[in-house]
Amino acid sequence: MYRYDEFDERLVRERIAQFREMVRRRIDGSLTEEEFTLLRQMNGLYLQLHAYMLRVAIPYGTLSGRQMRQLALIADRYDRGYGHFTTRQNIQYNWPRLRDVPDMLELLADVEMQCIQTSGNCIRNVTADHFAGVAADEIEDPRPTAELIRQWSTLHPEFSFLPRKFKIAVTGSAVDRAAVAVHDIGLRIVADAKGRIGYRVTVGGGLGRTPMIGKPVREFLPREELLPYLEAILRVYNLEGRRDNKYKARVKILVHELGTEAFVARVEEEYARIDRGAVEVDAAEVARIAAYFAPPAFEALPARSEAFEKAARDPDFARFARTNLFPHKAPGYTALTVSLKPIGAPPGDATSDQMRVLADLAERFSADELRVTHVQNIVLPHVRLDDVPEVWAALVEAGLATANSGLVTDIISCPGMDYCKLATARSIPIAQEISRRFADPERERAIGPLGIKISGCINACGHHHVGAIGILGLDKAGVENYQITLGGEPGDLASLGERLGPGIDADEVPAAIERIVDVYLALRTDEAETFIDTVRRVGLDPFKPALQPQEPVRAAA
Amino acid sequence: MAGKRPALPLVLSASDLLDGDVVFHTGAGWDRSLSAALVATDEAGAQRLEAALAEVESGGPVAEPFLFTVTLDPSGAAVPNHYRERIRVCGPTVRHDFGPQAREELSHVSL
Ligand code: SF4
Repeated sequence: MYRYDEFDERLVRERIAQFREMVRRRIDGSLTEEEFTLLRQMNGLYLQLHAYMLRVAIPYGTLSGRQMRQLALIADRYDRGYGHFTTRQNIQYNWPRLRDVPDMLELLADVEMQCIQTSGNCIRNVTADHFAGVAADEIEDPRPTAELIRQWSTLHPEFSFLPRKFKIAVTGSAVDRAAVAVHDIGLRIVADAKGRIGYRVTVGGGLGRTPMIGKPVREFLPREELLPYLEAILRVYNLEGRRDNKYKARVKILVHELGTEAFVARVEEEYARIDRGAVEVDAAEVARIAAYFAPPAFEALPARSEAFEKAARDPDFARFARTNLFPHKAPGYTALTVSLKPIGAPPGDATSDQMRVLADLAERFSADELRVTHVQNIVLPHVRLDDVPEVWAALVEAGLATANSGLVTDIISCPGMDYCKLATARSIPIAQEISRRFADPERERAIGPLGIKISGCINACGHHHVGAIGILGLDKAGVENYQITLGGEPGDLASLGERLGPGIDADEVPAAIERIVDVYLALRTDEAETFIDTVRRVGLDPFKPALQPQEPVRAAA
Repeated sequence: MAGKRPALPLVLSASDLLDGDVVFHTGAGWDRSLSAALVATDEAGAQRLEAALAEVESGGPVAEPFLFTVTLDPSGAAVPNHYRERIRVCGPTVRHDFGPQAREELSHVSL
């Protein structure tokens, strides 16, 4: 895991001291709210519906046990004993007090964490595949690349006031789990015919008001050219991106308005001008960063584990093992997903006690590593199969053993109007109700993989556009109203969902989702055809009647 | 001040600067309870709230002030018209242990 050097440490501490001073000056009245808003946003502090909210960066979603324990301590000392893990692989505290925030930042800095670049029009926290360093099909761990970008972009003077926020995601696997196609820049690590490592670069993906799939701008960018090339893209965007209308200010609009070809031409023109030597990092520095992400020393283990197989006679354990384990490249190991989606609970929330359990488990059983996923779950990436029964037992005790990873109750949901100031409707209660409807684990297993994603407004933090079933909450003349989309997919075959029909009321949503799932079950060729495959094969029409409330059928008297 | 004034009767709300709590203008200051709010039912009252809003817009003990429309229930208590303000007045609907609703003084407002 990456460790701060003295430079990072000093920078973060200086920032906190500055912020402490700004808070003091806001409280004593020497700063206006307008002046202060910009400053607090640069430190990850928002003002939400009921309270302030502090968003903490978890770069590429990787945490140590010590860091997770510190997050729990902060939740207890300065918040309400819980935290919310987000689709950006961050954690948010929903109830901090303004005066306490500088102290919270100091506690974070003690474990090499901070809130810089979690808000504002800058290059945001870089995200990556949560199975980095685990997946057998991985060409290279994406985290050294993500860390390199983090260092380059942190407080980059030229790119601190972009037209709008800017999100970069990296994947190193053949299978994209980082949703790179819906980021401002998506990077996919690839190898060319000679085995050299480079990047396939897409630009202009994004969700929100105008969802778009990123356009390829380079099929193969040699590794050493990464930073200069990113600099060229960002410079073109910084200069030409629209600043007159915040809804048209993301790079996707620039790419769309110019056309991909013209955009690429501008980038290449800029790239030809750039003094690459000044931006490129040398191989030694790349290697220095990569060394922090060296895989732990895996034991030589047999691929099969007797302890594991014995435990699998318990049907509950077997169900958990079937859904929540991901194959590990090292024989005898697995990556274990801890679901933060217990039936009927707000997605992504964890109590401080649960955080401490996760920290302990990471230290004892997973090479002291945890990952936060964009699906709002936690991963223990390096668990020996032999240890899975013990880990599972501890998770059961902590209420963290829900066996639903990737299934219909593993719902992504943004905070919506229960917390968020920008919301047009609530999203968490919809998620809770759907979760309760599909609580029967056997039924859930029979349905198979299905991603439901819910956003409480058009900003799409709940990624509804790329949900196999997407739900968007809107305000229709003072009543919460929900639009359902089908056919979205964040990964390799990235696609945007299509609207099924007119919006429906909140209390109709769970039943409508149930009917949609029933249509799928009736139409699928066999169990191997997943929900999204069926939607792609048959189109939306067969699902449309499912939006209408059905009259109960009565036999004639 | 941006935009048009919402319809009467009106209440002025904001977030407390120090802890972000939802607060209401009482005519003399700010209070966490909607029942303490000054409800403007006529032009003069609305102007008074607008003046209070303008005063704290750039600074003061609260942040992000705004006006919203309420209805007076038979007992004369103000109930926000829009669900957004009703949620704001009560606290998160998914955590009844947090927000003003935890103080159990809001029995007249529900979703
Ligand atoms: S999608 Fe909208 S409601 Fe949900 S968190 Fe984002 S801004 Fe808030």
